[in-house]
This record gives sequence, structure tokens and C-alpha cells, in this order.
Amino acid sequence: MDLRFYLALIVGKISAFVLKLKGSGATAAPGLYALSFDPNFVKKFSKQITNGSIIICGTNGKTTTSRIISDLLASKYKIIHNRQGSNLLRGLASTFINNSSFLGKVDCSIALWEIDEAVLPQIIKDTNPKTLVLLNLFRDQLDRYGEVDSIRKSWQTMLLTLPKTTQVILNEDDPGIKYLEKFAGGKITTFGIEDKKVNLPKTTNVSDIKQCPNCSSKLIYTSIFFAHIGHYTCTSCSLKRTSPIISASNLIFERGFKTSMRLALNKQKLNLNLNIPGLYNVYNILAAGAVSYSENLDGKLTKTTLEQFSSAFGRYQKFNVSGKEIIVFLIKNPTGANEILKTIYLQEKLNILVILNDKIADGRDVSWIWDTNWEIISKKVSSIFISGSRSWDLANRLKYAGFKLSNKNVCKQINYSIRQAIVSLNNKDTLIVLPTYTALLETQKILSKLARQEKWHQN
Amino acid sequence: MAPKLSLKICHLYPDLMDTYGDSGNIITLKKRCQWRGIKTNVSAKSIGDDLKGDFDFFFFGGGQDKTQLIVAYDLQKKKSSIKTAVENSAVLLSVCGGYQLLQNYFKTKDGEIIKGIGLFDAHTEGSNDRMIQNILIEINDDLQSDIKSTYPCHTKPSLRGVNRRSNLNIIEDRHASLAMTNCIKNLIGFENHSGKTYLGKGVKPLGTVIKGSGNNGDDKTEGAIYKNAFGCYLHGSLLPKNPHFADFLIAKALERRYGKINLKTLDDSFEWQAHNQSIKITRSRG
Repeated sequence: MDLRFYLALIVGKISAFVLKLKGSGATAAPGLYALSFDPNFVKKFSKQITNGSIIICGTNGKTTTSRIISDLLASKYKIIHNRQGSNLLRGLASTFINNSSFLGKVDCSIALWEIDEAVLPQIIKDTNPKTLVLLNLFRDQLDRYGEVDSIRKSWQTMLLTLPKTTQVILNEDDPGIKYLEKFAGGKITTFGIEDKKVNLPKTTNVSDIKQCPNCSSKLIYTSIFFAHIGHYTCTSCSLKRTSPIISASNLIFERGFKTSMRLALNKQKLNLNLNIPGLYNVYNILAAGAVSYSENLDGKLTKTTLEQFSSAFGRYQKFNVSGKEIIVFLIKNPTGANEILKTIYLQEKLNILVILNDKIADGRDVSWIWDTNWEIISKKVSSIFISGSRSWDLANRLKYAGFKLSNKNVCKQINYSIRQAIVSLNNKDTLIVLPTYTALLETQKILSKLARQEKWHQN
Repeated sequence: MAPKLSLKICHLYPDLMDTYGDSGNIITLKKRCQWRGIKTNVSAKSIGDDLKGDFDFFFFGGGQDKTQLIVAYDLQKKKSSIKTAVENSAVLLSVCGGYQLLQNYFKTKDGEIIKGIGLFDAHTEGSNDRMIQNILIEINDDLQSDIKSTYPCHTKPSLRGVNRRSNLNIIEDRHASLAMTNCIKNLIGFENHSGKTYLGKGVKPLGTVIKGSGNNGDDKTEGAIYKNAFGCYLHGSLLPKNPHFADFLIAKALERRYGKINLKTLDDSFEWQAHNQSIKITRSRG
């Protein structure tokens, strides 16, 4: 009997229970306590999961991709999954605590983990990985992570030590991910977009890869979708984008946040009408499609599951308050934010509330708002409200992006701004809320409460 | 009629040195000129490009370690053009990596020496401390009085431009205006570096650190000045929320071609709100 493990489990269980009584949403805390008693807590639990784990990692798209994969795999496995996006080791530990018996038994056949990119190399050793999905690597909260290059280097070392039985799924269109191919020993599946052009507005590019990650020579692009993602060839070495096994083509982005595309899973082709917007979601669909392919899932089932998928926590999440539609899109870094702006640009006119916080989870450094191309939507905005702990940094940024702004629409208090923005909506207008991470948490509380109150009144 | 004013701006290595929103500085220069009817022409100059073009202003931002190496090598070929321009009163603003490469040398943690171009008599040494936080400095005295003489906004900001306000907001504006006379002393930004910079004897720093690390975390200095060239660790972006410094740089760059110019007053209430909100956060938690 492993006393250390049981002690950790009991401590975790009790603290989870106490936190629940207190109504706290702290999802990582019980895991943190348990790990302080047994650092191998997650590793020991992982041994029970017969099919090992599927790991999703990358700067953007982890939560959405893993939720799509969870829907896909539900027919085949009983899944344990850190759905709330608590993606450090403690988050995994908490998930185990919440899904195990008091004897430490977990009744699941596969684990699905989204993992923070900076800690992936440390955590993956504890997870018995069956499949590793690497989505992309962008500039994100550099004040917390250090630079993109150093993360890639740590992944490179990690891949060399992975067991050969671990399948690796890679984004062919990200040269920094493609470069990692040669370090992986196991079976490799690649995904990418085959179209040369897409019907979305252009933004000034924030590129984190300037030269070939392999030889530092210049990279030439024949297509560039966003940041450094596209069709590239190195001018000097052999690194270049080739046709991926899993691909998307015939992309059409429509007003009303819909997307149609043709998904090729190697030889099998699926025509999809998706209920999620944006090029970034196409990559999430591709990565999930690659997992479906490597798991030999049925094509029809894959098609219906993908078409039914609508949103993940705070990523294109809809609310209804007083008959008015509110749609929330998390923004957290310039690349992600630019993609959201391109997506909402397709709407005829925009009523928006942007919320910029600078807590640790948002990134203390707010300079990324200057790398974000707000200019493209400035002419489409019919009303705008600005909020958050750095409301004035943001207001000033939008002033320089050519927005017409009023002092009255800038307020630090999120609660106040949300109510103000809703009240100012005309009937049938949609409010789009763009919060940073901690602002999203607050926004969701407020919007759920407003939506609930209304239901109560109706009843 | 007064001649139509224009500024030729050179953005050094914008494709390689563009971390932490430093391009916000270029956006700010362009807009603040545009609002005053001053024409700007921004040229991007990167690897292999020459620096012909009689530039009034150079901007050089920060980059990732790996790209910084490539830039350091190419910069040697631009050394004499940049130094000559600065000797001829061109204005230069450099941030973080750009600032480091303009010094004598950078010594990495492994002891490798990366040659700079010695515009600033200073050098930087790699360290294991990552200095990542909001940074507030008090601008050095001489520069403060220069800024006072160029920033046109000591009086109440004009009420034109940013929609109509309520009475309450006008009172707020007065507060902002009062705060402005104080804050003209300060620069606020965000630093993110592990290199520690040591200034040579007699080199004027940009200012004194009030909150944050600055050049090296020890001697309370931040940045460096040589003639009209400025180096600093202030991202944030720097110029958008430090309009007094932005206007000072614009005035200096114009002076070179047109003599002393009185800049038209702009409504900087948003800029000062951003400045003051950032300072408040910095003072309360760093």
C-alpha cells in the first residue's frame, strides 16, 4: 500500500470538499495540496488509465480542440479530461481527485489533457502519452513564459525522450512546429490548410518566426494565413511545408459566425457545415480530425460530431439577456485577438465591449494591445465600451486605432460596463464582449446572473 | 504660409525587432504628427538595406534573443550611417534589445561577446534575473526642462476632438490637467529583460528608477542619452502613454530641419488617464 499516495489523495479530497462547501471555484488548489504530499501523484494515477493519454498543447486553441476531441472520443472511451482548462500539473491532479473513489480508483479508459506549453516537458513524463498534439506556438504573455524560441527548444528535447509508441500530431502550416518533426520518434500525422487564400480581411502581421527555425535562413511564403502560419519554404535548407495527411480546403467564412469546409482525413473526404467561426477554429477542427483519424473513428460520426460542436468556455459563448444576444470571445494575445477581430469583421455592424485586465493570468504586460490590429474594425463599430483594470491603456490604444470614443464609455468596473453596454443596445442588436482571461471569468459570472434573473422573472 | 512640415522616420528592423508592442511607438509618432498636419514617411530598414534617406528619426525596438544575434551582425554595416545621423542631430529612440545593440557590447551568460556599435558608452551583461515588471522613472533634470519647453500641454487640454463631455468629466479633465504638470517628470512603462546594463563614466541616464529595476537593478539608473539618441527598457508601449516624451521627440526631430517649432496642443486626456492609471497600479503593486 502506497501511504504517501493515499495521504495525498485524502488531503486532496478533503480540501476539494471544503472548497466546494465554501463555494470557491478554485479548481487547482486540491491538486496543489495533494502534490505537496506526493509529487508522483499524477504519475501514479496515470498508470490506471489503460489507454494512456491524449495531450493537447500549443499557445492558442488548447481548450477548444480538447473539447472537440472529447466529443469525438465519447463513443469509444470513458474519458477523464481537464475541461475547465486548468492545465498545470496541479490541474491534472485536481481532475484525478474529483474523478476517483476514496480508494483512488479511476473508472476511465483514456485521459485527455490540455497542457500549458511552458510546462509540457515536465508534465508529459507523468501522463503515459498515447498521442501528443502540437497545435502552434505564438507570442503569448512573454512576461510569464519567456520567449517562443526557448519553449520550442524545450519541446525539441522532450520529443527526443518520448517513447516510440507515442503518436505525434503536428501542425504542418506552423514552421516552428513542423521543424520539430525530425525529433519525434513515433508515428507522425500532420494537418494543415490546402487553400491558397481565405475570405477574411488582412491584418498587419505579428510573426514570431522570422527565419527558418532549422538553419536561420530566410523563409519564403506563398500563402500566409496569420502570424507565421501558412505555406512556406526555406531558401536554404530542406524545411518546407508539404501536403498534410489531414487537410482543409474550400473554406468559406460566413456572416453569423458559420464556416463551411471540406475536411480530408487522408483518403476520406467530409463536407462540413460548422457552427463555429474563424480560421483559428479550422485549425482546431483539423487537429481534432487528426485524432479522429488516428483513432479510426467512423467518418459519419466524425462529421456529425464536428458539425454539432458549438463552443467552449468563453470562446464564442452565447448569452441571452432581455432578449438581446451577447457573444463572448476570449482575447489573450495578439495573434488570437487578430483572428477574433477578422472574424467579427464579417458582421455588418458591431456593438462591442472590450475588457483588459492585467492580473497574472492575463499577463501583467499589456503592450500586446499595440501588436493587435484594432484598426480593421474601427469603421464597423457603432458602439464601443471599454473596461478592466487597464481600461485607459486600451482606450488610448483604440483612440490611436481611429475609434470614436467617449469618456463616458470607459470604466474600470466590469459589472458597470456590461450593464451599460447591454442597456445601450437597440433591439435585435448583438453585443460582442472581448475580455482577457480573468475578465472572462468575471464576465461569465455577471452574464449568467443576468440571464438567470431574467428566467426567474419569467417564471 | 509656413512650410508644410514633414518627418522622415526610419524603423530599424521592424520585421525582426518587434516584441512587446514596440510598434505602438511608431503608431503614436505617426498619429500625433498627423493630428497636427505634419507629414510622416516611415521606412522599414532591415537586413541588407542601406540607410540612405536623410532620416530625422530612428526607432529601434526589442526582439527575441535569437533574432537579436542576426541583427547585431547586420547592424555593424549600418554603424557609420547611424552614428553620423546622430552626430547631425537626428533623433533616435531605442528600446530593450535595440538599446543593448547600440552599446559597446553585450556579454552573454556564457561569456560570449556580441559587438555593439558604441553609440552609447555602455555595455550589457546577461544574467539569470529576469527583470519583468512595471517600471516608473523620474526623467533626469536637464531633459525634464527640455520636455517642459516642448510639450504644449501645460494648460487645460482643449475640449475639442473627443466627443462632448458632461460637467463631471470636465472636472475630471481639470484633475487630469493638474496631474499632468506633476507627471511631466515621469515615464511609465513595462520592462522585460535579463541583461544588466552598466553606463560608462559621464553617460547621462534617461532617468532615475522609482519603481522597477531599470538598467541593472542596482544603481537606480534607467536608460541612456547621447545627444538626441535615447535608449531605455520601457515597453508598454512607451510613447502612447507618455505623450510629453513623444512630443519632445517629435519637436527635436523637426528642429533639425525647420528650427524651433511650437507644436500644436492636442487633447491628451486619454493619454494622461492611461499614464496615471498605470502609475497608480505600479505604485500599489509594482
